[in-house]
Order: sequence, then C-alpha cells, then structure tokens
Amino acid sequence: MPLLERRFTVKANDFVKAGEVSIEVQGILKKIGFDPALIRRVSICAYEAEMNVVMHGGDGEMLLRVEPERIDLECRDRGGGIEDIELALQPGYSTAKPEHQEMGFGAGMGLPNIKKNASSLDVDSRKGGGTRLTMRFEVGDGGG
Amino acid sequence: MAADDQAPAGQPVHYVEVDEQLCNGCVLCMKACPMKAIRLRDNVARIEGVCIDCMECARVCPQGAIRGVSSADVPLGDRTGDAVCPSTVLYSQFGEDHLPNDVLLGLRRMGFRYPFDQSYTAELYEFAIELFIREQREIEDPPFPLISAVCPAVVQIIACRFPSLLRHIPPLATPREIVTREAKRRLSAKHNRPPEEVEVLHVVPCPALMIRETSQANRDRAVGINAVYEDLKKAMQEIEEDRVLHYSGGVGLGWGISGGEIAGIRAKSIAVSGVHETIRYLERVEMGLLDHIEFLECRICKEGCVGGPFTVADRYQTKQLVQKYVRMFGEERRVKQHYLRKIYQEGWFQAERQVLPIRTEKIDLTIAERIEQQKRVESILKALPQKHCGMCGSPDCRTFAEDVVAGKARMKDCAQLKQYEGKEIVT
Repeated sequence: MPLLERRFTVKANDFVKAGEVSIEVQGILKKIGFDPALIRRVSICAYEAEMNVVMHGGDGEMLLRVEPERIDLECRDRGGGIEDIELALQPGYSTAKPEHQEMGFGAGMGLPNIKKNASSLDVDSRKGGGTRLTMRFEVGDGGG
Repeated sequence: MAADDQAPAGQPVHYVEVDEQLCNGCVLCMKACPMKAIRLRDNVARIEGVCIDCMECARVCPQGAIRGVSSADVPLGDRTGDAVCPSTVLYSQFGEDHLPNDVLLGLRRMGFRYPFDQSYTAELYEFAIELFIREQREIEDPPFPLISAVCPAVVQIIACRFPSLLRHIPPLATPREIVTREAKRRLSAKHNRPPEEVEVLHVVPCPALMIRETSQANRDRAVGINAVYEDLKKAMQEIEEDRVLHYSGGVGLGWGISGGEIAGIRAKSIAVSGVHETIRYLERVEMGLLDHIEFLECRICKEGCVGGPFTVADRYQTKQLVQKYVRMFGEERRVKQHYLRKIYQEGWFQAERQVLPIRTEKIDLTIAERIEQQKRVESILKALPQKHCGMCGSPDCRTFAEDVVAGKARMKDCAQLKQYEGKEIVT
C-alpha cells in the first residue's frame, strides 16, 4: 500500500507561524483528493494539536502518515506535559495563560475537539515529560 | 463567475493578457500569482492555469507587459437605446466636487441615455442577505460563514481551490445582477423589445467583473473605469439637465471600500481584503475556525474595489471620499422594507447563476495513485536546491516538482541543479 509521510516542526510561542502546519496538512490531503468532510476533521485536529504545542508545548513536531484507508497524525512536544489527562479531556478545562485567552485561544476545547473529530486518540503524557498525541482517522467512518 | 459563463474545456475565460513583445521573461509575475497559474515558456510568461483576473501579475510587472482587457470597446456610435450600469466605484473617481448623481448625469451627457444606479440595488441586496442569514440561523448546521459572491475573483478561487465551500455562497443575486435584470426589464417594457435584446454596458473597476461573454446568450459587455474616465470627466463639465438618478443612502455608496458590504448587514460579519488574505481566510473557514461568523465579505483587491486595477484615482484618497459620502448620505435604509420582504418571499432575489467546481486536472486517479504521485513530488523536491529561483519556468521548487510529476516540466529544466552535478541526488 502506498504510504506518504511528512514531518513538520512546530515552534513554541510562534503565533506568527501558528496554524501553518495544519494548513499544509490540509493542502496535502486536498491534493490527494480525500472527502472534504474527512479533510476538515483532520485539519481541525491538526490545528488544535498544533496550537497546543504553540501555547504549552515547547518545541515539537507533527508527523503525517497518509494511506488510502487511513490517515495518522502524531504530534510530539518537549513541553511540560499534562498532569491529569482525564481532566484535560473535559470540555472547558484549560491551563492556558491569560494572554493566550486574550488572543481567543485556550477555551479548553482543544483535546475534546480532537477526541470528537478523530476516529481514535491516544494521549501519552507525563508532568514534565512532554506530550505525544496519536490521532487516527479511518477513511469512511463518518465521524469520530 | 457563473458556471455557464465558462468555456466548455473547464478553463474559465479570463481577461488578463501578456504582451509577448514586451515580456522579457523575468519571474516576478509568476511568483506573484496566487493561483500559481503562470509559467515561463521560451522566456515568455504564459497563463496556463486557472486565472481569476486578480491582476497581481500586472501590478508587479516592470515591463508593463500584462494588462487587463475589456470585453468591449467604449461604444462611440449609437449609445442611446441601451443601459449603462456603472460600479459605485465610478462615483468616487472625480473628487469631492462631483456627487454620485453628477456622475450618472455625466454618463447621460456622454450619450448613454439610461444609466442605472447600483448603490440602490446594493441596499436591496443587503436587505435580502439579512433575511437569508436570519433563515439560516433557524436551520441545523447552517453554512456559516456565508461568503459574499460579489467579488467574482473570490467566487473563482472558491470554485477552484475550495469547492467544499461552494455551499457557503448565498443563492442570491448580487447588486450587479439585480441592476442588470432590472435594467433589462424596464428598457424592454419601455421600448417593447425582448429583455435579452437589451444590451447592458457595465463600467467596472477590474477585469474580474468583465462579462464572460463566450457562452452567454445576452449581449452584455463591460469596460474599465479608465476607458470612460477622460470622456466622462469632460462630459460632467457640460451637464445641463437637472434630474435625480441616484436614490441610495450612504450604505449603498460605501460598497467600493472593504467593509462596505457588511456595513449595512446586521449580522456577525467580518471583511477581508487582498488576495492572499482572502485565501488565508478561506483556508480558515474550511478548517471550521470561523463557524461563529455569519457573513464573510472578501475582496481580492486591497482596500476593496477602490483598489481595482481599472480605477484611475488613488485608492486611499478614494476611500476617504467614499467614507465621506457614507456620512453625507446617512446610514439609514431608504428601501421599502415591507415590500421587499414580500418580493423576497416570492423569490425575486434568487440568483440565476449556480457556481460549480472548476476542475484543474483532467485525469481521474484513485486515492492510492494520488498518494504515489505526492510521494514522487516529495522525493523530487528533496533533490531540488529549494532556492525557488523560478529559472525552470515554474514559480517555486514544489510547483516545479509537481509539474515534473505531471509531465509538464523536466528535471533538466532546473538551472540550479546543474551546480549540484556530481553530488549524489536522492530521488
């Protein structure tokens, strides 16, 4: 099966470039010609994951793997990690700084939004040890 | 633009031309093109992809080799029988001593007996859009933000690059479409002619607004503001009659500037101008980041239509003048709301056009084949120097790699690669 892999770096606190990686991910998937609804789900997740790295994560990277039947996104960062993953998955829970909230981010919808849109989500994180999000999207499953 | 206006090959007609004698084969236009539609072939710029008539290329060309063309010459002979519908931008081209009504009277002095005012239909349109937005609020999963269809270049971008957003375009006639329809209806009644025989001449600020005449049954034409400017200026000095042809308030006059359309629409809306910003915002809409906005106004020209390439007056001075008109004529609506609600219900505002996706590739490939194709693009890209010099004839290294995969370019076209000869190239 053909497999396309792309790796992107995400810089912490770079609000000028923030969102560029997800736009690039979106562009690749559009060129391949996936269903627009699927592309929208993947790019929402890519965006949320990217913004998490920009806001909390320290530097990190996003890995995109594309196969005809599935799309995988893996987002790794070297940031402070998540203390309580269960809590972080609750809508509205946020540890964003006030200045991020002033910019319209940090509503506590990032991880819940990813959970809603991905077919599956795995969060691997320890306080102080960085975070790895593994997101999978099955083609044709109609929603997360 | 309307799908039925497009050439059958799937390539829309465009109104931008390269003068091959003047073009010296530099790379600036190719790099400026937001659609990556330009390639250099034998040292001449050629428009090969989908051109949206944004004129970014012409703005950067040092040779003056790229220009917008009109779909008509200014008719110098018999101008009497037919309608002229100027863009409201025309009103702001002659400085503050000339009010919108003077411009319409000037057109009559030039010989166009039936000028139709578009600022008034702009106010009708705003009322209709507002009703439409209210209806959308009631439905599940509304196509928010609705995206204005007023700038045809924006519609082209959506049809070509964001087909999933076509459902965000409201199915309502734009002010220009309304004024065209009304002009035809009235003149056909007046002269007892079928409406399709009434010719409408549009005076427009940009080539994107040129009527795409190839498959159009009617006889509408358009000329740039710059084509009538001198004659009109002279005619305005010679106005003798005193009659009212301009009826709108300030809101309808504000349309030429960015934000002018949403100024009269009571909804959560934002206005974006400039082609790159427009594309950036459409990307964000597609990602669902702007779902909380109800209406999105986009204009391909910075500052809006006053920045159109066929305008004569400076865009920033014009902007001030337009703002002054808005204050002068007031912000209240002059349209009859009760009557408008009735004709809205009857479908009077329905658009005749239906915008269809523009397909840029002819070959149907499976998802698996396209993934293979992208892999080849990536591996070619790795071999390229990433200088984006454009000497190969493609605007940047990635596009060059895509062109190679599509069979439109060869690796040996890369001028920089030769410097790397002897080094290992991974493909």
